Amino acid sequence: MKRLSRPGPGETLLLTATRLLDGRIVWRDAAGIWQEHVGKAAQMTLEEAEPALEKAQETAVSQGVMGVYVVLAHEGHPPQPVTMKEHIRAFGPSVHPEFAYSSTSLSQSEASS
Amino acid sequence: MTKSVGHYNYEPKDKAFLQERIAEFEEQVERRLKGTLSEEEFKPLRLMNGLYLQVHAYMLRVAIPYGVLDSRQLRKLAHIARRYDRGYGHFTTRQNIQFNWISLEDAPAILRDLAEADMHAIQTSGNCIRNVTSDEYAGAAKDELMDPRVHAEILRQWSTLHPEFTFLPRKFKIAISGSPEDRVAARFHDIGILARPGENGPLFRIFVGGGLGRTPVVGQELFDGVPEEELLATLEATLRVYNAFGRRDNLYRSRIKILVQTIGVDAFREAVKAELEKMDISHYRLTKEKVAAIRARFAAPTLDAPDGGTATLAEQMQRDSVFARWVKSNIHAHFDERYCIATVSLKSPGEIPGDVTDRQMDGLADLADRYAFGEIRITHLQNVVFGHVRKDQLYDVWQGLMALGLGAANIGLAGDIVSCPGLDYCSLANARSLPLAQKLGSRFGDMELQAEIGAMSINISGCINACGHHHAGHIGILGVDKRGKEFYQILIGGQAGEEAAIGAILGPALTEDETVEAISRMIDHYLSHRDIGESFLQTLHRLGKAPFKEVAYGSV
Amino acid sequence: MALFKLRKCHPREDDHSVMLPELETHPEAQVVRLHPDDSIEALKPFLGNLSLIILNFPVFRDGRAFTQARALREYEHYRGEIRVEGHILPDQAEFLKQCGVDTVVLPEGSDVTLWEEQLKRFSFSYQETFFSKTPSVGA
Repeated sequence: MKRLSRPGPGETLLLTATRLLDGRIVWRDAAGIWQEHVGKAAQMTLEEAEPALEKAQETAVSQGVMGVYVVLAHEGHPPQPVTMKEHIRAFGPSVHPEFAYSSTSLSQSEASS
Repeated sequence: MTKSVGHYNYEPKDKAFLQERIAEFEEQVERRLKGTLSEEEFKPLRLMNGLYLQVHAYMLRVAIPYGVLDSRQLRKLAHIARRYDRGYGHFTTRQNIQFNWISLEDAPAILRDLAEADMHAIQTSGNCIRNVTSDEYAGAAKDELMDPRVHAEILRQWSTLHPEFTFLPRKFKIAISGSPEDRVAARFHDIGILARPGENGPLFRIFVGGGLGRTPVVGQELFDGVPEEELLATLEATLRVYNAFGRRDNLYRSRIKILVQTIGVDAFREAVKAELEKMDISHYRLTKEKVAAIRARFAAPTLDAPDGGTATLAEQMQRDSVFARWVKSNIHAHFDERYCIATVSLKSPGEIPGDVTDRQMDGLADLADRYAFGEIRITHLQNVVFGHVRKDQLYDVWQGLMALGLGAANIGLAGDIVSCPGLDYCSLANARSLPLAQKLGSRFGDMELQAEIGAMSINISGCINACGHHHAGHIGILGVDKRGKEFYQILIGGQAGEEAAIGAILGPALTEDETVEAISRMIDHYLSHRDIGESFLQTLHRLGKAPFKEVAYGSV
Repeated sequence: MALFKLRKCHPREDDHSVMLPELETHPEAQVVRLHPDDSIEALKPFLGNLSLIILNFPVFRDGRAFTQARALREYEHYRGEIRVEGHILPDQAEFLKQCGVDTVVLPEGSDVTLWEEQLKRFSFSYQETFFSKTPSVGA
C-alpha cells in the first residue's frame, strides 16, 4: 500500500470510492457517509486521512463501495482535486457539460434513481 | 421472417444459448451483490460479458460481429441508449458499440433486450478471443477476392466460450479480410487472416503477433495457403501454443506478439506445426458441408436497379457541388456498376468521433431499410457503411444523412479522426483525447480544405494501450500524464494495410493547444512543399521527418 | 477434502503422489501432481502406470491446465483420472469437463449446488471437443 503524502499549504485530502451497484463515484463525508457530490467530502489533514482510510476500507463491503483511496485537492467549496483525472471524476466528463456533477444534476439524478 | 442481409441469421439453438448465458451472468451478478463473489473473481466474469467498470459508471461494450448489423438491431441499440444510458452510444475501433453510463443492476436486463435482436456482449473484453473484426466493404467491394464474413462467423462460433481458450494470458484479437487491400489492419492483430479463393476452395494467409499498445509490432506471416478445412485446426494449434507458453507474470509482456518476438516467428511456427502433428486433424476439419451450413444462414441482397443510375448520379453531382464533394470522399466502388458503397462519417466537425445519438441510430436504421437492404456496417475507423446503395438513390440517401447531421464529406481525410474515449471516460487513460479530437476536427472542419489536404489519418490515444491506434496514423497522438497534467506526443509516418508501418515519435510532448498548432503547421508545410499529386505520406517519405519536426516545434 | 465429480467416475485416493521431477526416481508412482508449466511430453514414459494426474490452478485466471488436460486426452490418449485443484470457480465447471477433467478438489467453503447447476446450464457448445455436448461448427 502506497504511503500517503502530506498535503501542501492550501491543499487537503479527500476519500473517494466507487459504488458497487451503479459504478457511481462517491466521496466520504465527515460522518462516514458516502456522498455523490464532492462538495460534501470531508476535507482532511494527513493525520485525519490515515485512520479514515483504514476505517473506510474495513467498512467498504458493508457500505456497498469498492476501490477506496485518497485524493489530493485544493481546499475550497467544493474542493478542487489537483490532477485532471480526479477533476474529471469530481465534476464529470469535460466533453459532455450536460452530464456535469453540479448540485442541480445531483438532485436530478437522485430523483430519477 | 425474412433473413437479414450480410450476417448470420440465428437459429433456435443460438437464441437458446444467449438465454442460458444471460441466466448465468444474472446469477453471477447476484453472487457479487451478495458478496459471495469478490470483485477480483467477478471482474473477469463480467468482462467476458462486456461489462467494464469505468470512470463514472459501468460501461457495456456490445459485440457487433464482423461489424454488421441489421436495422432491427440498430434500433435495439437506440433503445438501449434511451432506456438505460443517456441517449447515445460510442462506436469503437473494434467495430463494437459502448454505452458509458450503465448500472450493474441493469446489466442483465440490457442483455435480455439485446438478445431479443440476437445480440450480445460476449467476449468483448477479458483475456479471451475477442469479437472478430472484418472488412467493412465485405461482399460489396469491386476489389474483393472473396467475402470473408462466412468465415468470420465460423470464427465467432468457434471462439464463443471456447473451453480451452477462455482464460488466456491476455486478450486475443483476430481480424479477417478478403480484399488485397487489407482493410482490417491484419498485420496489427494477434492473428490477421487474409482470405482468397483457390482452386479447391478458399486459402488463407495467416499473420501472427502483430499489435499496437505498449510494444507496437507489425505481424509476421505464420502460414500462407492454409486450406479451408485446416483453418480451425491451425488456429486451435496456434492458440494452444500461446496458452501454454505465453507469459502470465507480467501484464505488459503477455500478448502473443511478445512470445513470437521472444522465440522468433520460425520457432513459433515450428511449435504450431508440432502441435498440428500431434492433433487428430480429422476432428478439427472444417468441411465444405459445415461451411455450407453457415453460409446458408446468410442472405445476399438481390441487386436489381434500373440502368442509367450512373448518368442520374453524374447529373445530380453536376447540380449540387456539396453533394459532389461528399460522393468524391465517401463513396467506394461496388462490384455491380449500378450500385455503390456509401460511408457515413461519424466525424462531423467538432463532434466526438464515433458517437451517435439514439435519434441518429433510428434514422440510420430507417435509411438502411429504404435504401440499403436494411444492412448497416460499423467500420474500425468508427464510421458507418451502407454496403449496397443504388446510384440513382444516392442523392436521397445523402439528403437523409444531412437531415441527421451525418453528412460530413471527410472519409479518409483530415477530419476523419480516430480517437479512444480518453480520460473523460476511461479509467486507464492518462490524458483526454476527445477534446483534442474535437479541436482538430474543427480546425480542419472545412470540407474544401480537407479535400485539398487529401488522404490523411489522424489517430489519438489517451494512453499507451493505444485503443486509438496512434502508431498506425499518418499523424498519431499519444496522451501522457506529467504530474497530473496532460501532454501529447506526436508521431508521424504510421500506416495500416499492405505497407503497414509504425509511426515515429517526433519530439517532446506538447500541451493540447500546442499540439493543434503543431499539426496545423505540419499540414501547412506539406501543402506548400508537395509535388503534384503527392499525398502527405509520400511527401513525408520524400522529405524525411526532420523538416516536419522543425515546423512542428518552430514556434513553440 | 471435498471432491466434485464432473462426470460419472470412481475417484481414487491421492495418496503417495509425486511431483513430475520425482517420477524419474519413482517410476512406479500412480499419482502425479503437475505445475501449470510442466510439459505433458515429459510425462510420456510414465503414463502407463499413472491412474491419477492432478493439475493445478494457482489462480483461476491461469488457464494452462485446460491445455494440459486436452493434451493428455487428445495427444496421449490418457484414460485415467484427471483432477484439478487450487483456485477454481464453479463458473469454470463446463470448460473443465469439456477439456477432459474428471474431478475437482473444491475450494474451502464451496457451494456444491453452484457446480451442479453450471453443468446443466448450456444445452450445447459451439466447439467440438472430445467431450462436448452437441457440437455445432466442429460437428
